[in-house]
Amino acid sequence: MAITLAHYLIVAAILFVLGIFGIFLNRKNVIVILMSVELILLAVNLNLVAFSSALNDLTGQVFAMFVLTVAAAEAAIGLAIVVIYFRNKGSIEVEDISTLKG
Amino acid sequence: MLAAVAFYAFSAVLIASAAMVVVARNPVHSVLFLILAFFNAAGLMLIAGGEFLAMILVIVYVGAVAVLFLFVVMMLDVDFARMREGFQRYAPVGALVGGVLLVELLFVLGSWRFAPEAPGLRLSPNPGATVGNTEALARILYTDNVLLFQAAGVILLVAMIGAIVLTLRERPGTRRQVIAAQVARAPAETVVLRQVPIGAGLKNIGILRPPPAAEEREALSEPERHGHGGGHH
Amino acid sequence: MMNWTLALPEAALACAGLAILGAGVLPRRHDMFFPISMAVIGALVLAGVLVLGQGDGAALAGQYVSDAFARFSKVLVLIGAALALTLALDFNQTDRDLARFEYPVLILFAAIGMMLMVSANDLMTLYLGLELQSLAAYVLAAFNRDSERSAEAGLKYFVLGALASGLLLYGMSLVYGFVGTTSFDRLAEALTAEHAASLGLVTALVFVLAGLAFKISAVPFHMWAPDVYEGAPTPVTAFFASAPKLAAVALLTRVLTQPFGELSAQWGQVLWLVSAGSMILGAFAAIGQRNIKRLMAYSSIGNVGYALIGLVAAASADPAVRSEGVRALLFYMAIYLLMTIGAFAVLAAMRRRGRPVEEIEDLAGLARSDIGMAVWMLVFMFAMAGVPPLAGFWSKLFVFRAAIEGGYVWLAVIGVLTSVVAAYYYVRIVRVMFFDAPGAAGALDARPASLTVVMAATGLFTALFSVAPGPLLAAAQAAVAAIAG
Repeated sequence: MAITLAHYLIVAAILFVLGIFGIFLNRKNVIVILMSVELILLAVNLNLVAFSSALNDLTGQVFAMFVLTVAAAEAAIGLAIVVIYFRNKGSIEVEDISTLKG
Repeated sequence: MLAAVAFYAFSAVLIASAAMVVVARNPVHSVLFLILAFFNAAGLMLIAGGEFLAMILVIVYVGAVAVLFLFVVMMLDVDFARMREGFQRYAPVGALVGGVLLVELLFVLGSWRFAPEAPGLRLSPNPGATVGNTEALARILYTDNVLLFQAAGVILLVAMIGAIVLTLRERPGTRRQVIAAQVARAPAETVVLRQVPIGAGLKNIGILRPPPAAEEREALSEPERHGHGGGHH
Repeated sequence: MMNWTLALPEAALACAGLAILGAGVLPRRHDMFFPISMAVIGALVLAGVLVLGQGDGAALAGQYVSDAFARFSKVLVLIGAALALTLALDFNQTDRDLARFEYPVLILFAAIGMMLMVSANDLMTLYLGLELQSLAAYVLAAFNRDSERSAEAGLKYFVLGALASGLLLYGMSLVYGFVGTTSFDRLAEALTAEHAASLGLVTALVFVLAGLAFKISAVPFHMWAPDVYEGAPTPVTAFFASAPKLAAVALLTRVLTQPFGELSAQWGQVLWLVSAGSMILGAFAAIGQRNIKRLMAYSSIGNVGYALIGLVAAASADPAVRSEGVRALLFYMAIYLLMTIGAFAVLAAMRRRGRPVEEIEDLAGLARSDIGMAVWMLVFMFAMAGVPPLAGFWSKLFVFRAAIEGGYVWLAVIGVLTSVVAAYYYVRIVRVMFFDAPGAAGALDARPASLTVVMAATGLFTALFSVAPGPLLAAAQAAVAAIAG
């Protein structure tokens, strides 16, 4: 039972769907939504590394490295926004994010 | 065979901990499961031959991003007991949609095939076993990808500006260290040498200063006047 | 291939950004907003001049391309960013939190991101440019950090934007996995029509389209736009509605016509639905709005729908129709950019006793208290409604003509009908300004000079465009020749 490309892709796809699931079904906590975004990016990185290995090409790994960099920057900004949101609202529950409606 | 066992072990833990990230009630637990998921993803990348990325994933994610998450979760002091369990209401529909998406993806990915031209189109083929993964990446990262490298630097700069501009507050009345003022102080301003006669009390020779007058106290509370050390809070 | 001097405008703007950032930090003063803003406007203008002098070609290992299409988009992006910043000059200085010097610096870095987006010749350049622009935009949306609405706008924008980036990236990873490269040139070579049946590739295309549709707030990925437009400070909203939107539409155009050009049968149908949906939603959802920023959000969704008609025509098999479609799209976006900034200048001037007001009723009786501003707003609203001979009429005419020539008659019919519906709410604003009695709250404050400059510049362009349409048409034509020739 050799490990093929498809194995990696399937693991990544499960991670990706879990991340999407976490974003749309979370009714509790914004920070968990940010973590779900990190899961999606992790799935993308797994995809890229798996393809890079299967194609014997380094572009995928370089791409994954940049995705990592951006994900770190995104986490920093996301958490900063969550912090100011919490300061204003005193809550990070998703159902409270509804001042703007129309 | 060993690789296969390791692959299945890593994948199983990865998927289980990713699921726990999403469903855990306590965000601190979510963060800890996120860290576990990153560790296992790093293991998968090692098996796939992305050694450098695996190490970077552990260092950047576990060392920085996950700790940042943990820090914010604890700093926000969220009342976990009050958190509603709003999951059940949408969970069945969500699970159905997610399941359909997953089955479709598996259908597509399970029989993945490359374009027949793909091998000829590669931009940076792996140089082979003589060059390590880290060195091979370094060779193309700073040469072919210099534009992206610089752009990534600018992105990190923007993240830094953004995080500071959103969260840093300068409260009036905080006492901060002014190094220039500290350095500029001369001994003559601070140290007074006294000849103390033997047996004289401190009060007699006036070393103890009287308490500062009201206006002097006010002036002292301005941050600029706190040039002396130890004034940082 | 390492000809970095081709990317001189971006390099110069980045260096200027670093210098300006230092100049803002070092004086340790709190009134650096105005001088830093002027410096950033200067840097944007300088970058625009450098763009005009840029040559053709690919550079930096083929990841960066400079052609007439990129230059056309870049000049507009820089104009949009500079005008949006001018619009903020007075508005931001009334609020201690908004008047921080990081605001212009973030706009500058967002402009670099947008320039990279339109010059991208590689999936990785595309992603990094898009993220640079988006990250700066998330911060700008939440910039008024003591306002609950601004923080909420930032949070919504961030969460949905990050999700869209995730979808886009997943699609791009599949594209890389299928073809083994990320370079647009090589993708265009490899992605021929015979691969169109490949399930993996079509899935990848769907993810990429979904991610990019979010960034241009097209239906069905529009839901963030009204909330973010309403919650963000008005100058930030003006910025979101102008330059980033144009850059994202230009990026989408390049991606679909160059690397995915051979798959036009696949994406053409999807875009047909996206375009029709955006036009219909933009027209009908705006009718009931009372908040004028929210109304402008729906208006911008509708306008993206009209612009995408051009891209639908670009999916046609006939090369003449293709270039006609891309030309109409570029032309539409250029005019939309200037019209929308003008309208937002009026919105930014809406203050009563120093406090910003945002309801449509607040404009009541404007013609009596400030006839100049009322006339400019009339020009922008009539232009958006497509009243001849204003600029907005010609832009709509061109996209409809491209649709009809490409055989997409139904799309043109939907476009005309939704224009009529949309004209209703544009004309309603004009009616409120000219015929309603002023409310009990009193007249609006006098408008500041910087906003008058923006209104006059964009208003004169919008009103007098028919006098000399030649230069813009010629520039759009040259831009089209670079990518759809």
